[in-house]
Amino acid sequence: MSDWRRIDIDAYDPESGRLNREDLIPSYPNQITLQDLQPTISQLRSFANSGDINSAIQLATSDVPYNTDEQTKLQYVYAVLEVLVQVRQADVINIIKGLNSQQQDSLAKFLYKGMSMPEGQKNGGILLSWFEKLTQVAGVTPIVHYLSDRRTV
Amino acid sequence: MSQSLRPYLTAVRYSLEAALTLSNFSSQEVERHNRPEVEVSNSSAELLLQPMHISRNENEQVLIETSVNSIRVNIMVKQSDEIEQILVHKFTRFLEQRAEAFYILRRTPIKGYSISFLITNKHTESMKTDKLVDFIIEFMEEVDKEISEMKLFLNARARFVAEAYLGEFVY
Amino acid sequence: MSADRSVQSIFKLTKAPIYSHCFSADKSILAITHENECLIYRMNDSSQPQLVGTLKNHDKTVTAVDISVHGRIITCSQDRNAYVWEPLSDGTYKPTLVLLRINRAATAVQWAPNGYKFAVGSSARIIAVCYYEHENNWWVSKHIKKPIKSTINCVSWHSNGVLLAAGGTDGYMRVFSGFIKGLDTKESVANSPWGDKFPFGSLVREAYQGAYIHDVQWRSNVEQVAYVAHDGTLNILDANNNVSSINAPDGLPFKTLLWINDNEILCGGYSRHPVLFSRASNGWKFAKDLDKGSGSAEQEPAVTSNGEDEEENQTFGISALRKFKELDLKGKVSTNTKESAHDNAIAGFVPFVESNGHVQQVSSCGLDGKVVTYNI
Repeated sequence: MSDWRRIDIDAYDPESGRLNREDLIPSYPNQITLQDLQPTISQLRSFANSGDINSAIQLATSDVPYNTDEQTKLQYVYAVLEVLVQVRQADVINIIKGLNSQQQDSLAKFLYKGMSMPEGQKNGGILLSWFEKLTQVAGVTPIVHYLSDRRTV
Repeated sequence: MSQSLRPYLTAVRYSLEAALTLSNFSSQEVERHNRPEVEVSNSSAELLLQPMHISRNENEQVLIETSVNSIRVNIMVKQSDEIEQILVHKFTRFLEQRAEAFYILRRTPIKGYSISFLITNKHTESMKTDKLVDFIIEFMEEVDKEISEMKLFLNARARFVAEAYLGEFVY
Repeated sequence: MSADRSVQSIFKLTKAPIYSHCFSADKSILAITHENECLIYRMNDSSQPQLVGTLKNHDKTVTAVDISVHGRIITCSQDRNAYVWEPLSDGTYKPTLVLLRINRAATAVQWAPNGYKFAVGSSARIIAVCYYEHENNWWVSKHIKKPIKSTINCVSWHSNGVLLAAGGTDGYMRVFSGFIKGLDTKESVANSPWGDKFPFGSLVREAYQGAYIHDVQWRSNVEQVAYVAHDGTLNILDANNNVSSINAPDGLPFKTLLWINDNEILCGGYSRHPVLFSRASNGWKFAKDLDKGSGSAEQEPAVTSNGEDEEENQTFGISALRKFKELDLKGKVSTNTKESAHDNAIAGFVPFVESNGHVQQVSSCGLDGKVVTYNI
């Protein structure tokens, strides 16, 4: 027992009660599958194709699928990213002004998520201009919310 | 300032401002220790907050990793060719070897990034938060300028050397 | 300052951050945490508080300090210990170690209103409720463990001395029973809207916030408990489990809160100035900022300094220096010509002048080593 100093004694304490990553995610009664989400995703695409970015963003940020697996979340993020990059610069500020506080929080999550993926990094300039307008409208609030929010996109 | 640099720096500024809300936090794992939670492999997941990626393009990114008492700011500096890679490496290494003079500089960058800063609650308690943010923003502005200046200088020097050397063969 | 006369006085006491401060019942004694010590000051009218004592038994950062109605001082520290300091007739204090039986840092402490017991929050995922045992002549503790999953940041007693609210980094605000047999009577919690039975350690109420809870405080006569969290919100919970939540106006989280009266709460934190919220007919609303730094240069109240910081108060060459600084800060956002009284986050509030349950002056301590008093 040369490495007794490294034994994690707290692991033997039944009352130690540590939190791991899974414990932090709020539990949901039901899980959404990709099939459930497909109508929303195609709706997003059709809004994007017809150039109605405002409706698309309203839809994307109003009912964000948190209660699903990583793969499905990724599909949803791709769909939202497609919408985000098709916007005309001049429209951004008015779209954001039309969002309520929860939707702004969701938008911040999509922006950070988008910038962490190669697909979003290619369009970093557009995402950053979304981000800049978001901070102009809502200040630092959505970012502070993002930091502590355990529900990820 | 170029068009897309400003939103990039604004995003970093706001993200840092939100992330630099640190507390003095004593370790839950090790008795009588107070350590930057972002740096230790953590068995208490609640002490880490959401990481923030800010990217201008594939080559220019900032990753801010956050925790209850410390944050790590990782910067990927633009490196478009081999000369710039070498210059960035030399430049950041020069700074890192003098890390104690910069207080918040980390001696080695996180993998995949050019340079890393580690800011703990000790720093935010002894320095003004907005000045810390200003410092990092200014660093990001300056480092690009510095690298391209060095590159120009290097090219000029190479040209001069080549001329002087090849001049020997002109009769 | 002409528009905003909320700052009463600024005392720059130390260079190190002050995590916690408190006054004795008659406001004549001020105790602050200072690195590994607790400093005791005597308050004078209008001038700098006078240092009268240093309590140094701890060997790690002192995290919290409180004074009981009887004048006993309790300090707790990251060295896992807490001491009760009994005032002696010659003005010194006699320390008694508390048997906390915790193996991690102690983070928060508060005396129960009657002064016969206190609660200590800790990183060991435990709240220790401590009381004096006459037979053995020392302070012993009982533990509340379940269902705490992470560090406790703050504790607050209800005025009945039984209900104990606590919040921590696991994102829950919880109300426990701290009923100690022989000290508390069942009558004190008769007809409480929070429950019928309060055996020691039982979980009375639980509210999930998700973000770290930084501070919690009871308003006993309206049976409500308010707490501030790291997501920048102020939340108020009542006995029927209704939570009203409100965002900080400038986004940054609050570290501390104080009930001014039944309908007003003062919050302070990383935005460095106090923010007042008030209850309107349709819920809680942001009321006003106190002493908010702005772009306009106005006359500031003179900082009464300890002498060692004299070099920071420039008295000559101002114009050249300012010009230089302006050049230096060219194009930066953070150029406030008039700054708030605190240069760093506010760590705690305590009432300073109070009448009929209405706080008129508040004292705050900050990570910049200052104690500031505000008029409400």
